[in-house]
Amino acid sequence: MSPIQLRRRIVEAALAVAVAAGLVFGLPGPRESGAQAESSAAAKEAQQLAWDDSAPGPKQPIPFSHKLHAGQFQIDCLYCHSGTDRSAAAGVPSVESCMGCHSQFGQDLEGIQILKQYWDDKEPIPWEQIHRVPEHVQFKHNRHVAAEVPCQRCHGPVEEMDKVHLTSDTIWWPWLLPSKKLEMGWCINCHRENQASQDCLTCHY
Amino acid sequence: MTPPPPPAESVAAMIRPTPLLADSQTNRDVMAVFMERPGLGWLLLIGLCGAGLVAGALTWIFQIYLGLGIAGYSHPIFWGAYIVTFVFWVGIAHAGTLISAILFLFRARWRNAINRSAEAMTIFAVFTAQLFLGIHVGRIWKAYFILPYPNQRALWVNFKSPLLWDTFAISTYTLISLIFFYVGLIPDLAIARDRTTGWRKVLYGALALGWQGTSRQWKSHTRTVLHLSGLATPLVLSVHSVVSWDFAVSIVPGWHATIFAPYFVAGAIFSGFAMVLTVMIPVRRIFRLEHIITDYHFENMTRFLLLTSVIIGYAYGIEYFIAWYSGVEAERTSFWLRAFGPYWISTWCMIIFNGVVPHIFWFKWARTHVPTIFVVSTLINIGMWFERYVIIITGLSREYNPAVWGHYTPSIPELLIVIGSFSFFSIAFLLFLKLFPVIPISEVKELEIHARSHGHATSEAH
Amino acid sequence: MPELDRREFLKIVGASAGAAAAVGCSDPVSKLIPYVVQPEEITPGIPLYYASTCLECPAACGLHVKTREGRPIKLEGNPDHPINRGSLCGRGQTSIGRTYHPDRFAKPMRRGADGTLAPIEWDEAIALLAAELGKASGRTWVLGGTTGPTASEFLDRWVEAVGAAGRVVYEPFAPEALVGATRTLFGVESEPIFDLSGADLILDFGSDFLETGLSPVEHARQLATARDAGEAGTRATRFVYIGPRLSMTASNADEWLAAKPGTEGLLALALANVALSSGGGTDAGRAALAPSLARFDAASVAKLSGVPAESIERIGRALAQAKAPVALPPGTALASRRATASCGAVLLLDWALGAVGKGVKIPENDGRRRSSYRAVLALVDLMKTDNVGVLLLHGSNPVYSLPPAARFAEALERVPFVVSFASAPDETTARAHLVLPDHTPLESWGDASPRPGVRSLVQPTIRPLRDTRAMVDTLLDVGRAMGGAVAARMPEGSFRSLVEAAWSSSPEAFRQVLAVGGRFENPRPAAVSLAGDALQLEVAEPLLEGDGEFVLLAVPSPQLYDGRAADLPWQQEISDPVTKITWTSWAELSFATCERLGVEYGDVVAIETVAGTLELPVFPRGGVRDDVIAIPTGQGHTVGRWASLDGKARGVNVIAALPSLTDESGGRAWLVARANARKTGGHFRFAIDQDSQDQRGRRLGLATPLSAFAAAGAAHGEADAHGGDHAEHHLREFDAAKDSDANSLYRWGMAIDLDRCTGCKACVAACYIENNIPVVGEEEVRRGRIMSWLRIERWVGDGSLEGGAGLDPILPDESGSIVDVRHAALVCQQCGAAPCEPVCPVIATYHNEDGLNGMIYNRCIGTRYCANNCPYKVRRFNWYDFQIHNWPEPMPLMLNPDVTVRGQGVMEKCTFCVQRVAFARQKAKDEQRPIADGEVTTACAQACPTQAITFGNLKDGASAVVRKSDDPVRGYHALHELNTRPAVTYLAKVTRGPVEG
Repeated sequence: MSPIQLRRRIVEAALAVAVAAGLVFGLPGPRESGAQAESSAAAKEAQQLAWDDSAPGPKQPIPFSHKLHAGQFQIDCLYCHSGTDRSAAAGVPSVESCMGCHSQFGQDLEGIQILKQYWDDKEPIPWEQIHRVPEHVQFKHNRHVAAEVPCQRCHGPVEEMDKVHLTSDTIWWPWLLPSKKLEMGWCINCHRENQASQDCLTCHY
Repeated sequence: MTPPPPPAESVAAMIRPTPLLADSQTNRDVMAVFMERPGLGWLLLIGLCGAGLVAGALTWIFQIYLGLGIAGYSHPIFWGAYIVTFVFWVGIAHAGTLISAILFLFRARWRNAINRSAEAMTIFAVFTAQLFLGIHVGRIWKAYFILPYPNQRALWVNFKSPLLWDTFAISTYTLISLIFFYVGLIPDLAIARDRTTGWRKVLYGALALGWQGTSRQWKSHTRTVLHLSGLATPLVLSVHSVVSWDFAVSIVPGWHATIFAPYFVAGAIFSGFAMVLTVMIPVRRIFRLEHIITDYHFENMTRFLLLTSVIIGYAYGIEYFIAWYSGVEAERTSFWLRAFGPYWISTWCMIIFNGVVPHIFWFKWARTHVPTIFVVSTLINIGMWFERYVIIITGLSREYNPAVWGHYTPSIPELLIVIGSFSFFSIAFLLFLKLFPVIPISEVKELEIHARSHGHATSEAH
Repeated sequence: MPELDRREFLKIVGASAGAAAAVGCSDPVSKLIPYVVQPEEITPGIPLYYASTCLECPAACGLHVKTREGRPIKLEGNPDHPINRGSLCGRGQTSIGRTYHPDRFAKPMRRGADGTLAPIEWDEAIALLAAELGKASGRTWVLGGTTGPTASEFLDRWVEAVGAAGRVVYEPFAPEALVGATRTLFGVESEPIFDLSGADLILDFGSDFLETGLSPVEHARQLATARDAGEAGTRATRFVYIGPRLSMTASNADEWLAAKPGTEGLLALALANVALSSGGGTDAGRAALAPSLARFDAASVAKLSGVPAESIERIGRALAQAKAPVALPPGTALASRRATASCGAVLLLDWALGAVGKGVKIPENDGRRRSSYRAVLALVDLMKTDNVGVLLLHGSNPVYSLPPAARFAEALERVPFVVSFASAPDETTARAHLVLPDHTPLESWGDASPRPGVRSLVQPTIRPLRDTRAMVDTLLDVGRAMGGAVAARMPEGSFRSLVEAAWSSSPEAFRQVLAVGGRFENPRPAAVSLAGDALQLEVAEPLLEGDGEFVLLAVPSPQLYDGRAADLPWQQEISDPVTKITWTSWAELSFATCERLGVEYGDVVAIETVAGTLELPVFPRGGVRDDVIAIPTGQGHTVGRWASLDGKARGVNVIAALPSLTDESGGRAWLVARANARKTGGHFRFAIDQDSQDQRGRRLGLATPLSAFAAAGAAHGEADAHGGDHAEHHLREFDAAKDSDANSLYRWGMAIDLDRCTGCKACVAACYIENNIPVVGEEEVRRGRIMSWLRIERWVGDGSLEGGAGLDPILPDESGSIVDVRHAALVCQQCGAAPCEPVCPVIATYHNEDGLNGMIYNRCIGTRYCANNCPYKVRRFNWYDFQIHNWPEPMPLMLNPDVTVRGQGVMEKCTFCVQRVAFARQKAKDEQRPIADGEVTTACAQACPTQAITFGNLKDGASAVVRKSDDPVRGYHALHELNTRPAVTYLAKVTRGPVEG
């Protein structure tokens, strides 16, 4: 089992324990639907920030805050974006997996109500894509996860962002040319630094 | 390959058809060419070419939008009329520098009357040729990849590829020719500046760079021209050698031959001279320059044609001999089908027009009979276009794998673009006629002065 | 997996259409569309395989359907399936296009007053049909193609329940005569099963078993096994083809007897006669047959059949000596009005030689409903006499595939209510009153049973793209809608539950079957004995209508079959394996005939029979008898985006010139008409994908005489040991394994065995589907702009230096009885010293560390120098945005997401399926090991029915590809004299020469 998978297991276990503990200590459990506790102020605020039009990045259909989930709750990226360590494509969590938690938590939040609406309509959520490479690039998430490249290397510190946006990270070549994040030169640079393959066919076929 | 020293009487003939000219006379004659209001003929011509140019340009846009499919290409013939015409124009571009540089170094005086127009042609021809590099490629919007410029992708170009050598050769050649042309023009621009008013005066004034004709200026001018000639001379040989390597370094039967470089250079000079004649004969007629461009020039030009024709005639022969001698079946087949296959017409056009017809110039009457010269030189131009057509198309159509032998005929859009290129060239030349002195006034006068001051004796020396 | 889940996750298909489309065109994907419910087995980016069955022809090969994010993107053979063992023919692979066909019916259609079809709702449609059935009462008929056992059984029950008059099964190419003959000879109602794998002498009396015969993929594999050049001893197996035309199958024979069409029966008996009289065959055979065979002496049969008596006697003696001979009876093309007798005669030959029970297995009576042409004609008569009230048509296109002489179209006019279950428009739906579109096989449940013992399951792999319903479900609903007694007799549940019930008791058991793809046992052969009246067969010359000088031969098209594949663009564009013609039909005439008629390649001739006249261009050949005109089936459609020229017929439908006649057992007769031909003066430019079949002695397709092996046997492995062949020392010139980076573990290479390759083009189809290769259409093919990365070049012998001066291809003479045709599959050779690489100014093509010749589309600027400099001419250029212009929605859904779609102005070529290599590398890297041999293979190698292509790592000395490439006798490199150091090693075809006897 790769370290990543291991970490994922641990997080899953931790969450399970947390929920269990919540039940034991008389916090609102799944059965007492409707009579759920107020979500934390932090959550409410995070939602506002996630939809804050003044902040950079596109407005998502749901005010989902990565800061809250990945930052405050310390949920591992791979817990929701499962498959990223097994597949070239990074998984976007299914509505079901969101509901997995949110059928129990935070039902008083606006975002969760929107989520629930999608769930009831059995419609997928049309998330806005932020990080994308052209069709002629065959990027493989699993290889980078296996190489223990932190997600933040390309995606920026999402765990600190309420509203995710493309952070800038420009490298300068010795010949005094900039290469912006997700541009080819930027990828090549990282591959050079880490002695990763620079064969064209690695990414283009 | 310098021609024999001009006999004295012919120098006289050159400068004394009418009683001795005054400087002013020459000035006026030559200036007249481009100072006069455009005649009807000129307007008609430029209108015609304009139409051709527009048609060609629109077709090109159409082609960029739709794809190269609108051209007649058919697997396995991946190069067609575009590359043919490209090579043709590069060839044309050779006369100018040859006349200006090499003949200058050899002090061949008879060049003076024609070098200006030849240089102009060189420049327009090389521009036209460069157009085709863009027209030919599949993704012109990415064509800049071919330049070795530092980029964020950290990618470099392939210096092994003859196409890259080509890019460099052509661009260098363009640059040198431009400078050469311009430097030679400066004294005449000064004359023009002094004799014009209005916008022309402003234009020539700016371009003349304050030329006063002082001996100091003349001194440095002459030295510059000398050095430029030294610089340009190797280019004349290198450019078309490189172009020939576009083919010679490949493994295509009929392309892969060591003879290609000299063969192509000779061909280039051949076609270049032919083009100079084709263009200058009408110009001479229309602008009544018979007393400046005389039989003597034609005589020497046609001798050059004869020489180069013999060279490429030999090259044709050698190609076939080697094809047979090599014993390579693919090579033999390729050449056999070149002469007797689907493209026999083109092949025989090329052999007769380039290899046979010019031999008429063994006769003196032909060398001085202007209509004959005009017809022959035009035939040579056609023949040289076909030469490239034959080399490229027949080579590709019958390669190693008989399963993918193919056939190619240029499509209408393709031909429109080719016609457009000829129009482009003609428009440029017509405008040149009306904007700049087509005869290098100063150099012609130089000769006249020689003649007047020292009589015939010196003019023999060279 | 529970049905609901699948429905649920496939809900996504619609949504992610955008993503797939974006692969096709360059506008960016702006949305991320996740699953609503992500099924546990699905990980985006990782393919998921479902076992299913190919229903393209009755052979019913097993499938592994490769799906990505819920969309089938490729059909591959099921390795566990006894019929095809992991490979799949071209038609099977491109049938994936049926599901994504842009013109599929979106919902039920009803013909309105204005005569056009208009969409209606299902409830409405079902109510309507129920009402009509009520009215028609006993005058309802069902007419359709083969269906799986479950559906077939249900149909019978349904017919009975709704009180319909009956049901007729109709398969144009069904081997009815063969079944008839088996019945007559052995009293068993079943198709004999031919097993060539153990044979040492194979006689094909024109069944074309490699193209459209009983089970093409299976028989191709068996043929290759039988004469595997790799194993000493077996490689001497001879294959004799007996028939009027040198078909693709015949091209693989060692000897060709150009018999008059229809005289196969006579020849079979003559051969039996010689064989028995020269001491061959079984005692039983001799006892039973010898006397009655006496009259079939070589001399007289030679006269009738046009086959030299010498050959008959020689091969007869060879049969006598052969240990395991197998003779295959004539197929569709040669089904005369005496077809049953001909097939019977061939079966008799098999029986007499003792092949029955060994190479020829007669399974027990399976009591299956079989196609009967006689029944079809009877139904047509009923229709003409207004005795049919409602006609339900499924799985067939009778308006196209029945001869006009049968007057089916007219009869259809008289039927008040015609219902079609076709999922896409065809000539028949154009005349239907109601269309109830069926699922395509990839969307539907079902099963198939190609032979007793082999039962194969069909399962849906995608949520229906259109508002369609499985025919069985529709009929169930109709039955229920009819209410009362009928409704009561309808089984519970859906088609799915019927299939499940028919297959297994428990869901778990069903799950296991789903995983395997079916239940596969060996058929129990019946203990057969020769029936008494076996010898009553009337074996004689065929009865032919009309009095032309030629016999009209309708050749089943290997690409289009009976015409059902004509609207799959790939099948139109992948050329005919023999003539290399695409997108149209042609008439094959012998050189002599052409000379006599004064016609040349492409000239249009008019061909007249009693039934009609056809005008079509000529393809002159040596490979066809002088008294025969051969025309392929499948073209001449008037409906279909690709099948027709927007409404006008593309090519001609040869069936239109055939009278509607049956053989003795009521089967459909195809060899029925004499014809006259005359020049019309017209000319047509064929769109061909191979210019010349004459290789002019260049080293493209080589052959080695069998004797070379004897020489090799002496000192195997030594370079200088083999006198006969000149290939081996060229192999020693360089070591392809060295042509990759020193510290790379791999040098990908390929071995292509010309002796195994049959030229069937399954590999070409696989390449098209795997690599998103666009179809360019007839005009572009004519200009040589076909995009296929892999082509099979057909070389006739070593070739000569004649010809080539004209624009037409060189047509070699192949009329000799000794067949020497070499099928060389040409892919990018991934050269170690690739001529294409140094000439690219931008390094868009280059040599990568694993020795691959990389082609980077997004770097290419399209100077096309690489293509000029490629001596193999395997590079293709995107002259237009083919993929975008030629791929209407929803076809982009079937694009392979792992392969970039190439845009206008870039070069492309075979990549050795680098995407597959890259995928295998992921797993290997995760497990920190090199990619194992056989772990990754190319699409072409995977599809090949005969395993003629081997892909692997040349640096791994133990790999299969190295073992094959090191063949000292047969190994060679194409155009080696150019020293391109190819990674592809060809293994020369083995010419076995004539049969000795």
